[in-house]
Amino acid sequence: MRIKTEELTRKFRVGSSEITAVNRVNLEINEATFIAIVGPSGSGKSTLLNLIGLNDQPTYGRVFIDETDASLISGRRRREIRLLRIGFVFQTFNLLPTLTVLENVELPLSLAGKSQEEQREKAMTLLENVSLGDRIYHRPKELSIGEMQRVAIARALANDPETIIADEPTGELDSKTAKETIDLLFDINRKRKTTVIVATHDEKIVEVADTTYTIIDGKLGLNTN
Amino acid sequence: MCLRNLFRRRTRTFLCILAIALATMSIVAIGATTSRYICIIKEMHIYFRGKVVVVSKGAIVIEAFPIGGFGSLPQSMAEKVQKIDEVENAVPMLFIYNIGGTLEAFPKNFTIGIPYGNWQVLVGPTPLKLGGHWPSAGSSENEVVVGSSLADQHNLTAGTKITVNGYNLKVTGVLDTSSAFLSRSIITSLDLVQEMYGYHMLINMIVAEPMKGVEGEELANKIEAEIENIEALTEEERIDLAQPLISDIETWVLGIRTLLFILSMIFVTTVAMMNISERRRDFATLDAIGAPKSFVFKMVITETGLMGLLGSIAGILLGSVAAILVASLYTGIPISLFFLSIFDITPPLLMLEILVSTVTVSCIAGVIPSIAAARMNITEALRAEY
Ligand SMILES: Nc1ncnc2c1ncn2[C@@H]1O[C@H](COP(=O)(O)OP(=O)(O)OP(=O)(O)O)[C@@H](O)[C@H]1O
Ligand SMILES: [Mg+2]
Repeated sequence: MRIKTEELTRKFRVGSSEITAVNRVNLEINEATFIAIVGPSGSGKSTLLNLIGLNDQPTYGRVFIDETDASLISGRRRREIRLLRIGFVFQTFNLLPTLTVLENVELPLSLAGKSQEEQREKAMTLLENVSLGDRIYHRPKELSIGEMQRVAIARALANDPETIIADEPTGELDSKTAKETIDLLFDINRKRKTTVIVATHDEKIVEVADTTYTIIDGKLGLNTN
Repeated sequence: MCLRNLFRRRTRTFLCILAIALATMSIVAIGATTSRYICIIKEMHIYFRGKVVVVSKGAIVIEAFPIGGFGSLPQSMAEKVQKIDEVENAVPMLFIYNIGGTLEAFPKNFTIGIPYGNWQVLVGPTPLKLGGHWPSAGSSENEVVVGSSLADQHNLTAGTKITVNGYNLKVTGVLDTSSAFLSRSIITSLDLVQEMYGYHMLINMIVAEPMKGVEGEELANKIEAEIENIEALTEEERIDLAQPLISDIETWVLGIRTLLFILSMIFVTTVAMMNISERRRDFATLDAIGAPKSFVFKMVITETGLMGLLGSIAGILLGSVAAILVASLYTGIPISLFFLSIFDITPPLLMLEILVSTVTVSCIAGVIPSIAAARMNITEALRAEY
């Protein structure tokens, strides 16, 4: 999946003032690349990822998915893209608290219309890959932060998406688990040829990324370091 | 999944289910109790088919039976009616609505006095249970026949002695009937009832059978023309008399039921709205991973529907028990006897109807919250912290 943005801008109105969280961003992401976006807190990383992940609509500017203007895609198709072609790992993981680990991973598969057995089999494989095969009947709140993170990654991978978008995946992890997560994402990128887009503060991610962008006050620039 | 979502907020879900259960309970109890009354009233249509019932002017009559007002007529009136050409035969009766001395809305029994040998005018083909016989004129004892419900309650069989209103009576037979009215009746000779209740030579109704070929309407007009201060009621008129009462009761029941449904609906909606605003992030997550809107709709509506289902099942159980308590309170029949006939008091059809309507109402109550959930702005909701 190729993703391109053109003068992408997102403004938020808070009371009488206006915040430009993402400001005229031009970005091109090729298939199977590993992209890092770094920037201080509040610089607009999450906002940008939400726009690219079709979770949000720009105030102006455009997102192109495989040369198609996303603003011209129907809500239904956008949902389908989110379900099947993009895997989103949220900054706060956002596992559904009432579902078990296994059910959380099965959910996107079930939404994609897979049979019970397919769901079970796929979810089990994914969870084993992130070494959580023995925790499948636990609830998210019974897991550590690092484990939740891995469940979130397994869920994002459920429908074999072409792109993984991860919002600060190592932000709340200690350096050891952070390293594991980075390796996992890197692995996914190399073995599955999945595009990985990561917002982060983490220097280690920057080290493995093919391209790193810096975002400050909504303005994106290529990292030249 | 929906069930688990509900159990996450255990207290709130429990309270909501309790509220639905209480509402359903009231609906069931009121419905069952009133439908019993209405049943008894409607059942009275079957008495004195095709005959004319003569009562005193101003008597309050439910169907065929005078239950109050200026009730009595001289017994000689029956002979006057008999003398009318169009009358095949006229039977005087004394109908006592015996409330047993205390303030009770439902009588302990109905005591009905009928001249010896005319029992069939009232009971038709209803048989006596094995070993019983109708009171005989020649007996030196005060012989009576009792209805099956009274007999069950007080353990009466042919031969048992009872005391009613200070009179010693001997049961000679038990009426084998399922009629709510007859099964609560004591039937005996007119003389005895007149004596027991101080109606010397007085009666309160005459049942007149028209000659072959004579219409009830025609006979009633004739009787009213010839005898003053009475009312002759045809079958249709008797039904018409009860109709306003029945529809009054039914309107009230419908009103209360609607009100309770609306209250439950508001309650369920409020609780669902609370649940949803708390779970904004879950809905946003579902949206972000591409769950269709219909998935969210279904989830929310299943949750409210489930509350309705649990609430109404609990409510129907409680309501049926409450209906039994009410019935037992009014009739003095021990509760244990009623439990055997729980489905007679609360008909299964009523239970089903209330179950279906409560579940429907709570599903409808989920519509607004589910729209709210599906409309939730993803980016804003994703930022929401628990
Ligand atoms: N829904 C919203 N309503 C109002 N303002 C918003 C909204 N979302 C983001 N913002 C504002 O936009 C700016 C960028 O926010 P964003 O969450 O994208 O930052 P971030 O780079 O992801 O920060 P962090 O590293 O802390 O996650 C912030 O100033 C934030 O307050
Ligand atoms: Mg962020």
